[in-house]
Amino acid sequence: MVPPQYYLLLSAALFCIGLFGILTRRNALLFLMSVELMLNAANINLVAFSNVWGNVTGQTFGLFMMALAAAEVAIGIGIILVLYRNFDDVDVTKATTMRW
Amino acid sequence: MVGIFDFAPAIVLLPFVSFLVALAVGDRLPKGGALAGIAATAGSLLLAAATFLTVAGGRTYDATIYTWAEGIEAVDLTFGILIDPLSAMMLLIVTLIAFLVHVFSLGYMNDEGEVGLPRYYAGLGLFTASMLGFVVADNLLMAFMFFELVGLCSYLLIGFWFREPGPPSAAKKAFLVTRFGDYFFLVGVVAVFATFGTAAFSGSGSFPALAEAALHGEATVNTFGFAPQTWFTIVGLLVLGGVVGKSAQFPLHTWLPDAMEGPTPVSALIHAATMVAAGVYLVARMYGFYALSPDALAIIALIGGFTALFAATMGVVKREIKQVLAYSTISQYGYMMLALGGGGYVAATFHLMTHAFFKALLFLGAGSVIIAMHHNEDMWDMGGLKEKMPVTYYAFLSGSLALAGIFPFSGFWSKDEVLYETLIHGLGGSPVLLAAYAMGLLAVFFTGFYTFRMVFLTFHGEPRTQTASDPHSVRWNVKGPLAVLGVLAATTGLVNMVPVEKLLGIGGIDFLHQWLDMSTESLNAHHYGELIPYSSAYIGGEATTVAIGAGVSLGLALAGAGLAHLLYNVPEPVEHTDRLGGIKTLLYNNYYQDEYQVWLANGVTRPVARVANKFDQGVVDGVVNGVSSVSLFSGSRVRRIQTGVVSNYAVLLTLGLTALLLAFGLLGGWFV
Amino acid sequence: MTTKPELNLGSHLVPGLAAVALFVVMAAAILSASFPDPQGFAGDASIIASIGYAMFNLDFGAIEGESFLAALIIIAITLDVALDGSIHLARREGDQGGSSLLADGGRELKQSLFEEDDD
Repeated sequence: MVPPQYYLLLSAALFCIGLFGILTRRNALLFLMSVELMLNAANINLVAFSNVWGNVTGQTFGLFMMALAAAEVAIGIGIILVLYRNFDDVDVTKATTMRW
Repeated sequence: MVGIFDFAPAIVLLPFVSFLVALAVGDRLPKGGALAGIAATAGSLLLAAATFLTVAGGRTYDATIYTWAEGIEAVDLTFGILIDPLSAMMLLIVTLIAFLVHVFSLGYMNDEGEVGLPRYYAGLGLFTASMLGFVVADNLLMAFMFFELVGLCSYLLIGFWFREPGPPSAAKKAFLVTRFGDYFFLVGVVAVFATFGTAAFSGSGSFPALAEAALHGEATVNTFGFAPQTWFTIVGLLVLGGVVGKSAQFPLHTWLPDAMEGPTPVSALIHAATMVAAGVYLVARMYGFYALSPDALAIIALIGGFTALFAATMGVVKREIKQVLAYSTISQYGYMMLALGGGGYVAATFHLMTHAFFKALLFLGAGSVIIAMHHNEDMWDMGGLKEKMPVTYYAFLSGSLALAGIFPFSGFWSKDEVLYETLIHGLGGSPVLLAAYAMGLLAVFFTGFYTFRMVFLTFHGEPRTQTASDPHSVRWNVKGPLAVLGVLAATTGLVNMVPVEKLLGIGGIDFLHQWLDMSTESLNAHHYGELIPYSSAYIGGEATTVAIGAGVSLGLALAGAGLAHLLYNVPEPVEHTDRLGGIKTLLYNNYYQDEYQVWLANGVTRPVARVANKFDQGVVDGVVNGVSSVSLFSGSRVRRIQTGVVSNYAVLLTLGLTALLLAFGLLGGWFV
Repeated sequence: MTTKPELNLGSHLVPGLAAVALFVVMAAAILSASFPDPQGFAGDASIIASIGYAMFNLDFGAIEGESFLAALIIIAITLDVALDGSIHLARREGDQGGSSLLADGGRELKQSLFEEDDD
C-alpha cells in the first residue's frame, strides 16, 4: 500500500499551488479557478485518510465537498458578474474602493 | 416634653420648606412667599421657645441625625443636633429676629412695590434654615457646611437688585472675602479630623475634650511633629480665619460696609444679628478648645480690641445711615472677640445677645427712615424726623442708647461685662489683654460719639430737604417689629446684671451665667472658667474694680454722646468732621483697605493664577493631548494595511497561517 | 501576426513566496509525522454501494461509515439556494424573468433586426 505521506504531500502541493494562484492572479475568473484547486486538494486529503482508516466516511464527505464547491462557484460567478458591472473590468487589483 | 427634642430638626426644616415654597409657587402667592416665610419662622420660633423651656428644665440633647459617610477605619461624617443652653439661646434669638424681619419685609419690600419678591423670600427662608442648622450643628464639619451656606445666601441677598451696578459687585466682594477666610477654616476642619479623628463639639469623645486630655498627657493625638500646645494653637488659628472673615474683623472686614447695598431687612437679619454672629458663635461653641491655647486667645483679643477701635473711628465720618451702622457692627463684634480672647465667655455671649437685638433694631429703624425718605440714605438730607415718626424715633433711641452703652439699657450691661472681664484678666498678668482693653475702652468714646451723631442728624434739628419735612408714612408691619425690639433692647440687660450683683451683694441675678453653667460637663461656663489661662486681679477688691470699670466706660460713653450733642443737636448742624482735614479723608476712604485688597488680588494673585493657567494648559493638557496624538498618529499609519486589493489580504492570511503553524509546530514538537 | 504566449514573470509573483513557505512548513510537518498503516478496503466490497447506503442512514453497506442523511438534505438545500442566488446576482434591474430564454422562433430577433414588419 502507498504510505499516506505521499497522498498528503500531493494534497499539500496542490493546495499551495492553488494558494499561489490566489496570491498572484489578477483575473477574477482565474482567482476562482485557484479556489477550486484548493478545494480539490482538500478532497484528496479526505480520500487518503478514508483509505487509511478503511472507512467510507472520508469519501462520502468528499462527495459533499464537491457539491459545495459547485455551489460556491455558482455564487462566485454571480459575484464576478456584479463586479464587472460595477468596475467594467474583472481585474481584482482595480476594484479597490473599500480601502482606507 | 420628651418629644420636643425630636422636633428639633423641624426648627431647621420649616424655613427650608418656606424656601422651597417661595421658589416653586412664590409668583402665584399674593405676597410673593412672605406669608409662608412668616408662618415658617413663627413655627420655628415656637419650637425654639419650647426647646428653650425644656433646656431650662435641665436637659440637653446631642444626637446624630444622619451619617452621610461612614468611614472604614476612618472618620465618620455625620449630621447631628446639639441642643445645650448656648444653642437653645441662640435658636431663640435667631428665630425671633428672623420672624420680625419677615414681618418688616412686608412693609419694606411688599408695600414699596418691589419686584422679584419670591426670590427675596426664598433667599430669606434658605438663610434662616442655614443659620439655624449652623446653630444646632454638633460637629465642626456640619458647622462648616452651614457656614458656607449662609455665606451663599448672603451673596444671593446682597445682590438682590442685581440689575444695578453696585449690588452684584458688593455681593461678589462679600463672598470672596469671606471665602478667603473660609479656606483657612476648611484646612482647620481637616486638621481637626486628622488630629483627633473626630470633629464633635460635645461629649467625652469630642475634640475639645481630647485636646484637654492630650495636654494633660492622658491621651495621644496626632500632632504632626509639633508640640501639642503649638499644634492646637495652629489649628485654632486656622479655624479663626473663617471666623475673622465671617464676623468681619480686621483685616477681612471690608465686605460688610459694601454689603449694605442689599435690602435693609437683609442687612438687619444677616449683617447685624445672625450671620456675622456665626463666627463669634463658633468660637464660643469651640471655647473648650480655644481656652487651651493662650496664644490663640491673645490673638483673638488683640484682633477684637483693634477692630473695635479701628471700625469705630471710621464710623465717625460716614454720611449714610447704614454705613454708620455697618461700621458699628464691625466694632461691636470686635468687642465680642475681645471678650472671648480675654476669657469672658459669658460676657461675649451676653454681648452677642444684646447686640443682636439692638443692632437689628437699629437697622430696622434705619429701614423705616429709608422708607420715609424715599430710599435716600444720606443723613445730611434728613433732620427733624422725630416729630413725624415717633415710634421709629423712640425705638431707634432705645437702640442707640443700648449701642452707646448707657445705663440702664442692655448694651451697658453687656459691654461693661466685656470690658470688666478683660480688665481683670489683664491685670492678672497679661499685658496683651491690657492693651486690647485700652483699645476697647477708647472705642467706647467713639461709639458714643458716632451713635448720637447719627441720631441727632437723622431725627433732630430742622428738616434739611423737602423729603425730610414730608416723609412717607410707614405701617404697622414696620412699627410692630421696631416696638418689640425696642422693648428688648431696653430690658435684655436685666438677665445678667453682674455689676449690681457685685456692688450690692445681691446673689443670684446673673441669670445668663447660671444658664450657661447648666450645660454638659465639657461645655459649661464653669468648665471654661477653669480652662482659661488667665488669673484675675483687682484694683483694691472686686467691688471697687467693678465700680471703676463701669464708671470709666459709662463716663466715656456719656462724654462721646455729650460731644455729639454739643456739635450736632442744633437746628442747623454742619459737618464738623471737616475740621479733621486729612484724617477725615483717610477715615472716609476706610484707611484705603479696600484699595489695598484690590491691589493684592491684582498684583499678587493674578500673576500666580496666570502661571498656574499656563502650567495647566501647557503641561497637563499637553500630556493628555500628547497621549492622544500618539494614538492618532499610529492609527493613521496602521490603517494603510487596508489597501483594498483582495490579493494583499490573501497574502496576509497566508503569512498568518504559516506563522501560526510554525509556532504550533515548534511548541508541539511536530518537527523533531 | 501573432506572438507566442510569454510566461508572465515579474514582481507581482513575490506574494506567491508565502504559498511556498506554507508548503515547506506543511511538508515538514507531514514528513515528520507517523501514520498508522493504511487499512485499505476488502477486495469485493462495493464502496459505491456503501457510500449510497451511508447517505440515507441505511445499514446495508459492507464497509462501515458514518450516516450522512442530514448532510445530504442540507447540501441539497444549499445547492438549491446557490442556484437561486446566482440567478439573482446575474439579474439586471428592470429585467423580466427569463424572457430572453424562451424560444420564439426568432421573431423578436427578426423584429429588432429589421425595423419594418410584414406580419
